[in-house]
Amino acid sequence: MKIFFTKVPDPIIRLVIVFGVFFGVILFVRGFVIPKELKEKGIHRTSAIERELASEIHYAGSGICAECHDEEYDLKNEGYHQKLSCEVCHGPAMEHTEEPDDFTPPAPRQRKFCPECHTYNPSRPTGFPQINPVAHNPLRPCIDCHNPHDPKPLTVPRECSACHAQIAITKAGSHHVMLECTVCHDTPDEHKSTPRLIRAGKPVKRDLCASCHDKDSGVKEVPKIDVYTHGEKYVCWQCHSPHMPEVNHE
Amino acid sequence: MSIELVDKLTELLKQVTGFIYPNEIQIHWTLLIVVYPYITGLVAGAFILASLVKVFNVKEVQPTYRLAMLTALAFLIVAPLPLLLHLGHPERSYEIFLTPNLSSAMAMFGFVYAWYLMLVLLLEIWFEYRKDMVLWGKTEKFPMNWFYKILSLFSTDISEKAVAFDKKAVKAITIVGIPSAFILHGYVGFIFGSVKANPWWSSVLIPIVFLFSAIVSGIAIVLLLYMIITTSRGKQIDMKCLDRVASFLLYAVIVDFSLEVLDFIHRLYESEESITIITTMVLNKLSISLIVMQILLGMLLPLGILIIVKIFRFNQELRKLLYFVSAIMIQIGIFSTRWNVVIGGQMFSKSFRGLLTYKMEIFGLEGLLMAVFLLILPFLILTVLLKVLPPWGKNNETNTT
Ligand code: HEC
Ligand code: HEC
Ligand code: HEC
Ligand code: HEC
Ligand code: HEC
Ligand code: HEC
Ligand code: HEC
Ligand code: HEC
Repeated sequence: MKIFFTKVPDPIIRLVIVFGVFFGVILFVRGFVIPKELKEKGIHRTSAIERELASEIHYAGSGICAECHDEEYDLKNEGYHQKLSCEVCHGPAMEHTEEPDDFTPPAPRQRKFCPECHTYNPSRPTGFPQINPVAHNPLRPCIDCHNPHDPKPLTVPRECSACHAQIAITKAGSHHVMLECTVCHDTPDEHKSTPRLIRAGKPVKRDLCASCHDKDSGVKEVPKIDVYTHGEKYVCWQCHSPHMPEVNHE
Repeated sequence: MSIELVDKLTELLKQVTGFIYPNEIQIHWTLLIVVYPYITGLVAGAFILASLVKVFNVKEVQPTYRLAMLTALAFLIVAPLPLLLHLGHPERSYEIFLTPNLSSAMAMFGFVYAWYLMLVLLLEIWFEYRKDMVLWGKTEKFPMNWFYKILSLFSTDISEKAVAFDKKAVKAITIVGIPSAFILHGYVGFIFGSVKANPWWSSVLIPIVFLFSAIVSGIAIVLLLYMIITTSRGKQIDMKCLDRVASFLLYAVIVDFSLEVLDFIHRLYESEESITIITTMVLNKLSISLIVMQILLGMLLPLGILIIVKIFRFNQELRKLLYFVSAIMIQIGIFSTRWNVVIGGQMFSKSFRGLLTYKMEIFGLEGLLMAVFLLILPFLILTVLLKVLPPWGKNNETNTT
């Protein structure tokens, strides 16, 4: 034993002791000091969930507002903003529900607030009401004309572009610029006031396109094809975008 | 929605071009994540330079050896801080160490780091300084003598045999250290390179490009520090050493540059569907930081200077000036590289149809000031290390190695 120790160089022994102590401490800490909850294997520690539960709550949810503001609540729930939570606009209001007189949540009366959701943006779903904040009745706060809790369109929009801006913009730059939307879409007038209830029609057969593009159709100044052979059995819009028909002339 | 959030979003929304997904507007890996690979790169690079002396017996660069080791240590100590701060709850970060997750690629950093810090850097420095520490333990005044005694783990043997063993140990550790340094920074590259969903990152070349840019920046920082520290100590700069370090810098820059060009050509030739958006991003959003800062200022210009210095034998003063300037430009360039990788990878939409913008905070945990602080901190640590473990010995006694 003694011989063995004299053979191992002195610094190595010292280092081994240091590392031994180090790993000993680690093992000790892992074994005895770390609280049990930290050793749980699950993705979420129970104590972490408890910790989060214990943190202060800022949002009260819409339901509770009805107790005191039933007027706004009912109004909103019938209108276009029915899916928005009150606190989306009024900010966290937990404190307010507890001490309504001491804390009042702010109301976003400035014009710049509403465009956050309503500015024209191609990624918004089809039919989502979008405006161009620079051009849409400039300078006046939105709430001058729209009730934030029941934002009915003041007048039924005349143009399809009010809600389908993306498609209208696309079409405006295409060969179909001269075609009204209604040439292809059979649209009841009620679609403009209650778009989700009353649907607009969509073309289903190639005959529609053929009515102008077939070589026998007789419509002038329209590029012609033979409907019976061209594009085989597929509907035309599987190959040509109807709102931006493009052809690769090579 | 609070009004401040609305303001912030409104500002960012205006900068968006094209189509982005709703959850992309905020860039999550911010400036601190730029600082992190930059700092780790310096560690790995400085260590590789140091290893030239011990493993490849490049005698000329001996004067930078200890400095390089201490630089690596100073930066390594700071390396995890940007990550921990970035977590948002830095005060909870200790939990990570208590509950290591063996299946997480990100958590691997903890292990790579611990290995590198304890089994490579600290050990090597300890063996390198052991003899000095034993001596200082005897000659210094109280309480520093005790400090050195503890540091040297109370060893006293400075016989020739013991010192020879130290040297052997240093060499052995360096040999282990080189692959470790590769792993350390290769790992950082891997974390980016393995993100399949992101075409700007996903590339097997990324770890290697990271590694060589790390070597470039590490050599350059040691060169800078060596020049500054030697001059401020009123000593003569060893020109042989400086020239040699600069040549290594040149070779590293050449390799790094070729790798980056290779990566670039590879992307262009593969021309995957992402190439259009990436080209647009590079030409618009990254034109300054990539084309001007990274390639022109940070790569081609120093490359040109270093080549010219090699061809024409300028006098000493001019050479020093040129080395100094190119080393600084290389730092700027490598920092931009990190920026372009980290921020660039998040500036285009995963739909490949839109670009967004990163707005840097000034204050706050992830802001500019914090990043500046983290970049200064290693130098403060290095100052302390140089006081405690002066590479040039104490009281003008001659360098012991
Ligand atoms: C316990 C009854 C109570 C509840 C619950 C309550 N409020 Fe109120 N709220 C009040 C009272 C009372 C006032 C009038 C305070 C005043 O004028 O100083 C008020 C005023 C307001 C105002 C007006 C601020 C202004 O600028 O005029 C807003 C907005 C508001 N509440 C929003 C909410 C929202 C949102 C909720 C649900 C999260 C809510 N309140 C829940 C009692 C309540
Ligand atoms: C689209 C955003 C929005 C939503 C959603 C919203 N509000 Fe409002 N609310 C406003 C604005 C804007 C005002 C300020 C109206 C004004 O000054 O004419 C306001 C005003 C109020 C007021 C003060 C009434 C007054 O005449 O001063 C109350 C109370 C209120 N809201 C409660 C609610 C409650 C309760 C809900 C949920 C049921 C709710 N709000 C949902 C935007 C909103
Ligand atoms: C959090 C997002 C959000 C905010 C903020 C918001 N809205 Fe809306 N708005 C909606 C949604 C969702 C609809 C319903 C769209 C639908 O029915 O498809 C809507 C519908 C509308 C409509 C009906 C348009 C139509 O004819 O279909 C108007 C007008 C309107 N909002 C005005 C406002 C005004 C004014 C404000 C500011 C006080 C505002 N909105 C703030 C989300 C928002
Ligand atoms: C001067 C009154 C006025 C102001 C101010 C005003 N609007 Fe309108 N808004 C209208 C009218 C009228 C319509 C319906 C006719 C149309 O399409 O222009 C409308 C329609 C809308 C629509 C539905 C799209 C549509 O055409 O059906 C939205 C969304 C809308 N407005 C949002 C806003 C927002 C957001 C603001 C503030 C930035 C705002 N409005 C300011 C008068 C106004
Ligand atoms: C007040 C806004 C509004 C106006 C004005 C409007 N639409 Fe729509 N439109 C919608 C909405 C919202 C939807 C989406 C309905 C859904 O998916 O539930 C829609 C859907 C459609 C669809 C697709 C239907 C389907 O089943 O997929 C067509 C086609 C359409 N609109 C055509 C038109 C045409 C043509 C006009 C003009 C004559 C027009 N719309 C005017 C809001 C509007
Ligand atoms: C040349 C004929 C034509 C014209 C003109 C046209 N559409 Fe269409 N549109 C189509 C066809 C065909 C489809 C079906 C595409 C499909 O089912 O994939 C369609 C689909 C749609 C849809 C539902 C699909 C979607 O993208 O959400 C909407 C909404 C729509 N059109 C709106 C409009 C509006 C608004 C206009 C006028 C600005 C217009 N269209 C003009 C032919 C036309
Ligand atoms: C009301 C008549 C009409 C209908 C219906 C119509 N188109 Fe057209 N289309 C035109 C006219 C007019 C042009 C040529 C405009 C021009 O010369 O720029 C055209 C051009 C085209 C082009 C050629 C673009 C090019 O690059 O040369 C294609 C493709 C096309 N339409 C496809 C369709 C499809 C698909 C449909 C059915 C969804 C359709 N069209 C329905 C009138 C029509
Ligand atoms: C299988 C895909 C496919 C389908 C389905 C299809 N097309 Fe085409 N279409 C093409 C291609 C490809 C071209 C361009 C090659 C060419 O010029 O022959 C073209 C060209 C055209 C042109 C331009 C001809 C010219 O001389 O400029 C028109 C108009 C057109 N198509 C209309 C239609 C109509 C209407 C339908 C539906 C009846 C339709 N297409 C269905 C693939 C298709």
